[in-house]
Amino acid sequence: MEFDGERILDGINLYFNDHEFLTLLGPSGCGKTTTLRIIGGFLTPTSGRVLFDGNCINDVPPYQRQINTVFQRYALFPHLNVYDNIAFGLNVAKLPKAEISQRVEEMLEVVGLQGFAHRHIDSLSGGQQQRVAIARALVNRPKVLLLDEPLAALDLRLRKDMQNELKRIQQAMGITFIYVTHDQEEALSMSDTVVVMDKGRIQQIGRPEDIYNEPKNAFVADFIGESNILDGVMLSDYKVKFFGRVFDCVDAGFAPNEPVDVVIRPEDIDFVPAGEGHLVGTVTSVTFKGLNYDIIVDFRGFKWLIQTTDYHGEGETVGIRLNPEDIHIMHKSEYSGMFGDYSSYSAEYDELTEDADNEEE
Amino acid sequence: MRKTNRIFSVLIFIFLYIPMAVLILASFNTGKNIAIFEGFTFDQYKELFRDRDLLALLGNSLLIAILSTAIATAFGTFAAVGIHSLKPRMRKAVMTLTNIPMTNPDIVTGISLSLLFVFIGTGMLGQKQSLNFWTLLIAHITFNLPYVILNVMPKLQQMNPALQDAAMDLGCTPVKAFFKVTLHEIMPGMVAGAIMAFTMSLDDFVISYFVTGTEFVTLPVKIYSFTKKPIHPKIYAMFTLLFLLIFVLMVTMNLLQLRGDKRKQDRRIKMASRGMRVFRRAIAIICTVALICGSAFLIIRSRKDKITLNVMNWGQNIADGSDGTIDLIAAFEEAYPYIDVNYSEYASNEELYSKLSNGGLVVDLIIPSDYMIARMISEDMLLPLDFGNIPNYKNVMDTYKDQAYDPENQYSVPYTWGTVGIIYNAKYVDEADVTGWDLLWNEKYKGQILMFDNSRDAFGIAQYKLGYSVNTTDKEELQACADALSAQRPLVQQYVMDQVYAKMEEENAWIAPYYAGDAMMMMENNENLRFYLPENESFNLFIDAMCIPYCCQEKAAAELFIDFMCNPEISGANMDYICYGSPIEGATEYMDEYLAESEVIYPPAEILERGESYGFLPEDITRYVENLFLQVRLN
Repeated sequence: MEFDGERILDGINLYFNDHEFLTLLGPSGCGKTTTLRIIGGFLTPTSGRVLFDGNCINDVPPYQRQINTVFQRYALFPHLNVYDNIAFGLNVAKLPKAEISQRVEEMLEVVGLQGFAHRHIDSLSGGQQQRVAIARALVNRPKVLLLDEPLAALDLRLRKDMQNELKRIQQAMGITFIYVTHDQEEALSMSDTVVVMDKGRIQQIGRPEDIYNEPKNAFVADFIGESNILDGVMLSDYKVKFFGRVFDCVDAGFAPNEPVDVVIRPEDIDFVPAGEGHLVGTVTSVTFKGLNYDIIVDFRGFKWLIQTTDYHGEGETVGIRLNPEDIHIMHKSEYSGMFGDYSSYSAEYDELTEDADNEEE
Repeated sequence: MRKTNRIFSVLIFIFLYIPMAVLILASFNTGKNIAIFEGFTFDQYKELFRDRDLLALLGNSLLIAILSTAIATAFGTFAAVGIHSLKPRMRKAVMTLTNIPMTNPDIVTGISLSLLFVFIGTGMLGQKQSLNFWTLLIAHITFNLPYVILNVMPKLQQMNPALQDAAMDLGCTPVKAFFKVTLHEIMPGMVAGAIMAFTMSLDDFVISYFVTGTEFVTLPVKIYSFTKKPIHPKIYAMFTLLFLLIFVLMVTMNLLQLRGDKRKQDRRIKMASRGMRVFRRAIAIICTVALICGSAFLIIRSRKDKITLNVMNWGQNIADGSDGTIDLIAAFEEAYPYIDVNYSEYASNEELYSKLSNGGLVVDLIIPSDYMIARMISEDMLLPLDFGNIPNYKNVMDTYKDQAYDPENQYSVPYTWGTVGIIYNAKYVDEADVTGWDLLWNEKYKGQILMFDNSRDAFGIAQYKLGYSVNTTDKEELQACADALSAQRPLVQQYVMDQVYAKMEEENAWIAPYYAGDAMMMMENNENLRFYLPENESFNLFIDAMCIPYCCQEKAAAELFIDFMCNPEISGANMDYICYGSPIEGATEYMDEYLAESEVIYPPAEILERGESYGFLPEDITRYVENLFLQVRLN
């Protein structure tokens, strides 16, 4: 897919299964919305094909596809009330009035908006508008429902509720959901399959657990959860060397002496007294996070993020142990060296970038 | 500060609405004088609704306004959607281009449209009458379009572009999505644009004036030709109604907008507004009905198999049935049932001249004044008359035949005539001084003398005084006239035209040369005023005469009309309304005695014999005289 000669999507090869909840996950500008719009029929790819039940639908306009969309910020019709919004597609299809009324009532029940049929759109809260948008799409009984960041405009608590709600609806209706989000937590908690995208390419496809536990490269490791990513060398199967030490690990199948990226999740690291540790470092900052502390530890000038329930004060010398199953080895990629160093880490910085993401979308 | 602001806004409101208040008051006034409110009455409204011509004109204006608004709103909306889909830089450029016609002076738009229509109609399609209802409609649509686009664009920009996608996602084709969703979103802009276009169209004069033919005239164009006589108060009544119509339209629009905004803010209101929906439907229905009626009306119009005779006359220069007179057009149509008279008006000889020379019109009969007839003859704009078709020509008195402007009387038949004499106030002016044009040069009345503020009449008086021909082209004679006028200048209080009425009636000046018919009216208002024609000198006898212009299509019918007007009974009835002299033998017998016996309007024959009418002057002489007069005025 290209816009003005600029390549937006490259080598996208995706299969969607029936009844699947699939999420396209990636930072803004990664091409996930473009992918969704191609599936919806609002964009025609400059090359490549979109197949639906084995038939190419490149030239099928959106109004003839058995696909419906829940748009960013809902795109409800302001001149119609709740009932007429939901009935819109059925009216266009010229279904009998009785059937329309029955199906709309049904959908109102599914999304929990009984009694709201004659409310005006402007009088609904964000969450209610969201439900109307979902009902408006689902009432047409599409084979696939596309959801473009449907929860982005909701506040945190409402977002959690709607996540559960969406999952419930998807399971109840048995429809394929293709869900676009930049929120990794949302993706992990709702999806059957997660597709991590960046720079118009698919970085990894897999079940949420696999994506989290076995990230394919530094980008995925960093984007999904927090990761300390270090340069290492794979000496042989199950032996990796970094920070001048050889560690046991569970990974095999790399070339001897291959340079690799080593991922260590912050929550997998255990503190031990300085003398007993594989590595010894100094605590440079401590942030209380509720469930745990985020502790930044300086190991020979390389700063690690460690999440722990034990408190260690700033300036304290600590030791850590790494178990073989806590160490994950990845091949080097174009993302190597870009992520995984917490030298400039701060809680505020993280929030700021997240806000910026929201605004862009 | 706030107080000052409030005072200012009140002042501005007064400033804006006082003229309308005066007009509304005048429309309920029993008296005809605007300055004094004599009593409350609905008579003007009754008279307005009795005047079917005026109502027909109002109907024309409304028809054009509604049709052009409906079409411009439809086209403008589609155009706006098209412009909106362009890339931003292109969009900006196109918007600038669409806005230019709005800032363009109307007169430029009017003239260029007129040129275009005549070029295409007459030049390319060979139509005789290329300016007509359709050109007027096209012109109105043209100048209405930018207002619609300007109002619809912001609504398109405000609209969430995903709405269109959502509609398509739910099964609408792009066109259906436009009608089911986009249209609703931009409706407020369309309504605002339509109302603006409607009001612009309803009151447009300048552009309409240049692009309309004689068969279809709108109200503003017609009213402009009412300037020859004071405006009838029923016109005030009509303006009041028009003002109220537009006022109600604007207020409704603003209220609906206000309600729409409030609905968006107020989340508690649950039901969709029905008012807006009803309003939209009403507008849609009105537009449709107007379109259907308009087309039907035009088809009926174009189907009639009668001859149409296009007559162009001065404003209020034919008896029309008001004030107890006879409706002469109706009488003519009754006498010749196969002829339909299409009557239109002009305000000055020069206006008539420019309309005819611009081309694109079919006009069968005109009634210009003497010097203009001479000019038109010299420019081959008139056709020689077939006097075999005008037997009543024998009724025209010899005094008015073979005048300087048409020496062999081939092109014109006199319609009315009048004289230029001196009006004076007997209370201040010594009767012994009242002899000839000398009175205007009498040192005794220094500062109480008024003089014509137009070169032809001013020089005419000097020429009569010095005994030269009023049509002289001798530059030495003209210089002598200029010297005489310069000599008179210190005695003159002011050079005037219409202001003469107030000055003389209120006795702020004592002596003035003016036209006999007007003198008669001044004398009605001040009993000290007298009118006389110089005893031994010559004076101007002006004549308006019926002529057939080169663009005539129905010459025989036009000659029938001329013949009809030469009937003494008809001419007499006509003069009762227009208060000029009739050139027809025996016409006085059919007039009001008051007019027939007035020596102001009908001086004795021996005096009349000294009258001389204006003839043709070459253009270089006209300009020479104008320059001399300018010098006189400036010294």
